[in-house]
Amino acid sequence: MECRAVRNSLSDYLDGQSIWMSDGEVRSVETHLVSCPACRNLKIELSEIRTAARELPLHTPPRAMWTRLSNMIEAEIAAENAPARQTQASSGWWSWLKSRRFTFSLPQLAGAGALAVALIVAGISGIFGTNSTTLNLTGAQSALLPEEDEIKADLERRMAAINARKVKWNPQVRAEFEQHMAKIEESLKQCRQMLQSNPKDAVHQQMVRALYNEKRQFLEDVERLKW
Amino acid sequence: MVTAMLLTNAWSSPKLPRSVAKLFSALAMGLVITAAAHSASAQTFNRTFSVAPETSELEVVNQMGTIKVTAGSSAARIVINAKQLDANTKIDAAQHAQGKVKVEVTGLGAVDLEVAVPASSNIDLLAYKGSITVTNVAGTVRARITDGNIQFTGLRSPRVEAHSTKGNVSFSGEVLPSGSYTLKSYSGRVDATLPANSDFKLSAASYRGGMDLGGFQMKFEKQTDQLVEASYGAGRASVHLWTQEGSIHLHRKP
Repeated sequence: MECRAVRNSLSDYLDGQSIWMSDGEVRSVETHLVSCPACRNLKIELSEIRTAARELPLHTPPRAMWTRLSNMIEAEIAAENAPARQTQASSGWWSWLKSRRFTFSLPQLAGAGALAVALIVAGISGIFGTNSTTLNLTGAQSALLPEEDEIKADLERRMAAINARKVKWNPQVRAEFEQHMAKIEESLKQCRQMLQSNPKDAVHQQMVRALYNEKRQFLEDVERLKW
Repeated sequence: MVTAMLLTNAWSSPKLPRSVAKLFSALAMGLVITAAAHSASAQTFNRTFSVAPETSELEVVNQMGTIKVTAGSSAARIVINAKQLDANTKIDAAQHAQGKVKVEVTGLGAVDLEVAVPASSNIDLLAYKGSITVTNVAGTVRARITDGNIQFTGLRSPRVEAHSTKGNVSFSGEVLPSGSYTLKSYSGRVDATLPANSDFKLSAASYRGGMDLGGFQMKFEKQTDQLVEASYGAGRASVHLWTQEGSIHLHRKP
């Protein structure tokens, strides 16, 4: 089975193999996952997104919000295209958008899902005035250790799952978590700066590794504590 | 209670004016009632599991409170005694098909756990806040806590891992020839007390707190203010000590 086929089947596979897929298809996907790290990682990421999304509180936006949004979009499009598309102005872009049918591939849906989760979390965090912990201090810099990109990707995955759950935590625990993370981030930033000035410095290489490890273990503990 | 008794004694003293004596008496009664209510609100949880000593395994996940694990007198039982100090917590204790016993506390409240295990048990402990103490165990030991101290005493384990994010970590026990001993704390102090006749390779790193390597005459492979790599004896066991903010202390036990 090719990666593309496996990726298209992953959603059904995770939904419950016996319902959506034949036994043969399930076996093919599982055989492929054993030998393909990229698809295996995608499966893990999708599972985590599903878990995180399932744990998010449901918020139904007020009807007025949709009306406002559609009015804004229509007004903006109408203003931009006024001279060229005067004849179509009465039907409106929003009506056109609603009349269309779209099909998305699994990676597109997964990406959209991840984006939606991130936006919801960011929105909710903004509403409740909490600081959402991110990996921004080290994320934008180039790798100083050969394995650094891999470490960062792993940490970002863990952090996304935790950020999605964090809104439900006790405020004090959430504040303490943020505080611990900020401290580790600060140390990491300092050690990385030292390493950047002397990339062959074994002491700072070890310190940076230890701090990444500290961060990973802390996130692992939080996951195990099931907050 | 002691304060309450002192106050009651003061009440009986003939030198005190009557109004002051009455105030003391009311305070004493209040203290007694508070103490009684506190002890009544603490729920106990007791459970015993039969285990095979050679495969005995324990996992504990606690949110807040103490975890004390001691090698007990029985070689075939794991005995759990817990004091639930908060009604919002739930304690689950179960034995898996492979024999592993898992104790898990859910809900953010304090639970103090005391567990007696066969000495050969393998142990995995996790807590958010409080403290972890392990005594006289000879199986592998892994303990992690975010905010609190970890203390290992009298261990004879081939593999030890202790990690506190915001607390001190101390180890005292034997160093087995091919053993592995990792003690870490992000902001706390790390103490290791090892027998004088140990035989180990040391890797110690403290970014800010400094290091005191005690009386061990070691052969240094790398030595800076922040990082030491050295061996003592034939260097068969591996001892790894790390703290970012705290200090490291290696003690030689005669």
